[in-house]
Amino acid sequence: MGSSKIIKTIAQKLFPFIVLFGFYLISHGHLSPGGGFQGGVVLGTAIILLALSHSIEQTEKKFRSRWLNMLEKLGILTLIFLGFLGILLGYSFLSNFLPLGKPGQIASGGLMLLFNIAIGIKVAAGVSVIFYALVRYRGEI
Amino acid sequence: MTPINISLLVFMIGLYGVMSKNNLIKKIMGLTIMNGGIVLFFISIGYREAGLAPILEKGTIDGTTTIVVDPLPQALMLTAIVIGISVTALALALIVKIYSKYKTLDIQQLSKER
Amino acid sequence: MSKEMKKAFFIIIILVMAILFILSVDIEYGNPKNLDVANYYIDQGLHDTGATNLVAAIYLGYRAYDTLIETIVLFVAVTGVVFCLRGKR
Repeated sequence: MGSSKIIKTIAQKLFPFIVLFGFYLISHGHLSPGGGFQGGVVLGTAIILLALSHSIEQTEKKFRSRWLNMLEKLGILTLIFLGFLGILLGYSFLSNFLPLGKPGQIASGGLMLLFNIAIGIKVAAGVSVIFYALVRYRGEI
Repeated sequence: MTPINISLLVFMIGLYGVMSKNNLIKKIMGLTIMNGGIVLFFISIGYREAGLAPILEKGTIDGTTTIVVDPLPQALMLTAIVIGISVTALALALIVKIYSKYKTLDIQQLSKER
Repeated sequence: MSKEMKKAFFIIIILVMAILFILSVDIEYGNPKNLDVANYYIDQGLHDTGATNLVAAIYLGYRAYDTLIETIVLFVAVTGVVFCLRGKR
């Protein structure tokens, strides 16, 4: 599982920029091209790049699959909780109860930013969990 | 030869792959190609001539001077892409289990074993 | 699968492809007929949901149920993959 030093160094230096780009896509999803699903897949790709260039075990010490599993469930529970919060405050399920704000600013769109963050975390954790499960399988029945 | 015709051709190529190949992984490849054809079909149905991406900017908000593409098929296809990815992942995991139990991926031999 | 069946499949596919191609020649590209729904979203989307990205306005504002169920589908798929490929305890 040893790749060359060039690949390891470039993957390590490129990792924070990919994560930054993923968070940009998630947080500006309601203003520009992007959104929760796209940014989540970019974040998952960062973890996959690190796991492919370094060894899987080394990556799993940083991003444990137990925590990623928990993050995925946390994302989907956040989405459902935000939906029911609308009912508690007197609106209908999944409706917007925050002020809309000025168009073009990042605080506009009400609940959309929170939805995008929950979906992005959920998709990133899901993609990396699928990758771990498919790579670590060793043929036992 | 518009993209609508091309998307139907791509869909039929995927359907041929699903129907005629014996290997299970090639069948999954056919499903993915069919998904690509469907996505291309819906995106090209919503296209308007000289239309821009459905994102409102400063010029578009006050007086609509530019033509904007129909945003509804794009939002539907976002759903379709994610469903396609999850179907592919689940099918590949099932194929891994099938291979580790029967040691073959040929659908003719698989249907003989019970 | 025998060679003849494969050839028959190929001929059927070619025939259906030709029929679909002939039927789809008439569809106009770049000039959709019915634009009421699209014009409603383009005119009222920013006023209703406050998002400048109209695709996000549709899939997180008007059709948030769709996105919620889609996320649940992805979650079930991930659960199935982890269940199928879990190691021996």
